[in-house]
Amino acid sequence: METEAALLGVARIGRSPGSVVARLTARKAIRSGILWGYVFGVVVASSAISYVSIYKTQIARDHLEAAFGANHATSALFGPASQLQTVAGFTVFKASMTLMLLGAVWGLLISTRLLRGEEDAGRWEVLLGGQTTRSGATLQTVVGLAGGAATLWAITAIITVVAGLSSKVQISAGPALFLALALVATAVMWLAVGALTSQLAATRRQAAAYAATVLGVSYAVRMVADSGIGPNWLRWASPLGWVEELQPLTSPRPVALLPIVAFTAALSAVAVHLAGTRDLGTSTLPDRANATPHLQLLSGPVAMTMRLIRSTIVGWGVAISLTGLLVGLVAKAAGATISGSSVEQVFSRLGAPGTGTATYLGVSSLIVAVLIAFVAGGQVTAARAEEATGRLDHLLVRPVSRERWFAGRCLVAASGLVACGVLSGVSTWLGAASEHAGLGVDTMLGAGLNAVAPALCLLGIGLFTMGVWPRATSVSTYGVLGWSLLIEIVGGVGALNHWILDTSLFHQMSAAPAVPPNWATGGIMLLIGLGCMAAGAMAFKRRDLTGE
Amino acid sequence: MAASAIRTEGLSKRYGGLDALKDLDLEVGEGEVVGYLGPNGAGKTTTLRLLLALIQPTAGRAEIFGLDCQRQSVEAHRLLAYVAGEASLWPALTGLETLHLLGRVQGRVDESYRDELIGRFELDPSKKVRAYSKGNRQKVILIAALMTRADLLILDEPTSGLDPLMEQQFRHCIHEARDRGQSVFLSSHIMSEVEALCDRVGILREGKLIEMGTLAEMRHLSSLSVEVTFDGVLPDLSGVPGVSAVHAEGHVVRCQVRGSAEPLLKAIATSGATRVLSREPSLEELFLAQYGRKSEEEMPAAETSGN
Ligand SMILES: Nc1ncnc2c1ncn2[C@@H]1O[C@H](COP(=O)(O)OP(=O)(O)O)[C@@H](O)[C@H]1O
Ligand SMILES: [Mg+2]
Repeated sequence: METEAALLGVARIGRSPGSVVARLTARKAIRSGILWGYVFGVVVASSAISYVSIYKTQIARDHLEAAFGANHATSALFGPASQLQTVAGFTVFKASMTLMLLGAVWGLLISTRLLRGEEDAGRWEVLLGGQTTRSGATLQTVVGLAGGAATLWAITAIITVVAGLSSKVQISAGPALFLALALVATAVMWLAVGALTSQLAATRRQAAAYAATVLGVSYAVRMVADSGIGPNWLRWASPLGWVEELQPLTSPRPVALLPIVAFTAALSAVAVHLAGTRDLGTSTLPDRANATPHLQLLSGPVAMTMRLIRSTIVGWGVAISLTGLLVGLVAKAAGATISGSSVEQVFSRLGAPGTGTATYLGVSSLIVAVLIAFVAGGQVTAARAEEATGRLDHLLVRPVSRERWFAGRCLVAASGLVACGVLSGVSTWLGAASEHAGLGVDTMLGAGLNAVAPALCLLGIGLFTMGVWPRATSVSTYGVLGWSLLIEIVGGVGALNHWILDTSLFHQMSAAPAVPPNWATGGIMLLIGLGCMAAGAMAFKRRDLTGE
Repeated sequence: MAASAIRTEGLSKRYGGLDALKDLDLEVGEGEVVGYLGPNGAGKTTTLRLLLALIQPTAGRAEIFGLDCQRQSVEAHRLLAYVAGEASLWPALTGLETLHLLGRVQGRVDESYRDELIGRFELDPSKKVRAYSKGNRQKVILIAALMTRADLLILDEPTSGLDPLMEQQFRHCIHEARDRGQSVFLSSHIMSEVEALCDRVGILREGKLIEMGTLAEMRHLSSLSVEVTFDGVLPDLSGVPGVSAVHAEGHVVRCQVRGSAEPLLKAIATSGATRVLSREPSLEELFLAQYGRKSEEEMPAAETSGN
């Protein structure tokens, strides 16, 4: 099928040689843009609608503003909150950070896939055998990706405008369009980041990891800026900060579009230029194609799994540790600003009642849990990729039983997740302790481990799907993860009933250390995860190995 | 009694409505080199993947050295080495690291033979797999299989992607394996490759084993595709002994020749032939020449039984 697509491309070159890559890319990017546009729109609309249904009176709204307005706890995590007494202000605050991050991840994944991924898969060889140069093909891909971004914006804008028509919401079309623009701005910038790292790195995975690192650094810089620790200009040092400076709906500053446009254009131009200066399948940064052999961790399937996922887990470990450290550092200052019934209400809906450092850390631990769940999702798709690419064949045709390989994958992945939890607990404790926040290392370690339970459950669900319905592995794993995340986001403003909330993995987790970890619930999630893995292993043993 | 290297009984695999393999009864004796020939999509890979328990049969069973392929797969795999048709490997490992890993997982490696093979196949083992061409990846997988000196080699179109020089090396290795008493089961869609290596050949078509025998018994299958260009009137070649599937187009006549080419050469010698091209026919062409008429006869019958 892959070659078919490539051949299709070649056949089309015959008809209109100028734009075949652009159109092939645009088709894929637009399809994805439509899907994510709906997600973006739903998040925006649900934020606005839930606000007007919860905060009906002006008094309640003023209350919310008074409490959150200058609140470092929330602005460090979710960005600054302004004019929370209005639907507009609240909607921006509620939707921005989630969608900024989601958009950036979307952008970097799709651009590295359509640039580096296609090249790795050898499809570019076929296309370039035609009449396109490497620079030309990269430029066309960038144009195609821009089509995807435009679609993402259009769908988000339409839903936002429609939601704004509601007599209670009342956001007029112009500001709604600008809001949509602000929400997709990070997606656009990380499309460009991904385009650049696709040239720098030697593989798609590496390219995505580089782009994700840029995102992590941008988030960290912005977090320090928004928590009131650093100087004011610091926010201008982060692309995520530029997006915040757009201040859609509340006090729009289109001037902040300048750095965004310049950043995107510059990165894209450099990417196109670099594409022309390197050979197909090589990287701009030195890649050790010739390496002295490292024979450790190659003694069997389990050791080998450890070796394969080592760099991924280390990368996540560093990201999670840095997040923990930062969260810990700002915890005391931020926690002190949590007061007033509305903040407490929102935080307690997220499962973290009370005020102070522990409450703040409790909400933060939800974010850590989401990160660790992403690690779990990555482990599931990595296991499935071993099978789908046929690499697993080389192990299973040797004296390795399917159970042994599958159990090894489970064990190594689960250990990685637990390690992430420990790192998160210890690093948060380190950060908090350096500010004398007064929380014990055992408390924070407990909170870190507590945040692993949803990830272990997700790991089980994902590997179970891989056992029974391999081709649905990725969709079901990220489906469950996305659903849980969405419910948690929408549920945070309190518009959902108990039954729906309970379907979110993250809702099952207690927001330690704000409340003590509920080891019983955690244990149940762990058991569900283990049960799923066992059932998945049984099914995997009995079925045919399946390609893509 | 010594068990055969491979024995299958009624081995079948269905995918939805398609019989990828139907009622295969096959035996490969110890020390035998057996070819498994068939056009693309005939079911060769399906058969080999069934033997390796990568997929499960819909019916029938298979044994390797008397061990059940499905239930005793781990034990069976200790005795064999397999070369997959599609060479997808771990891109971040070097060639040597890959060989080390696969050797450790197999649990038995002749290290000096491995190094000899690396030299013979001219593989640079210090390169990462992602920097290898398809041919080089194929070499890694071949070396990984050969270096184990396994009792049974199961090879799925092992020479795809290799250049002719390396193909020669490969043939040399298979001869060595035979001399050491190893059994070999080799799938291919190239007649000449199988002719050069195998004691016996099975021919598979649309999931069914239609021929099985020694090469001498298969002689009736080997033929040449000939294309003759005339500058004048085309002669009628259909009556010439050994010539079949005659097809005329403009100044060109295409046909298949079985056995001696002498009658054909005589027939065209006086007709003003300006160009004569001959080549080994593809398996598809061979099958068309050999079985084409038969399957046309079968078709109406199948239709009536379907109604
Ligand atoms: N996983 C699968 N699902 C459906 N059909 C398959 C699958 N694998 C193989 N087939 C079909 O089975 C037939 C035999 O395929 P294969 O064994 O790969 O042929 P060969 O190796 O001889 O070229 C083909 O028609 C192929 O399309
Ligand atoms: Mg095949």
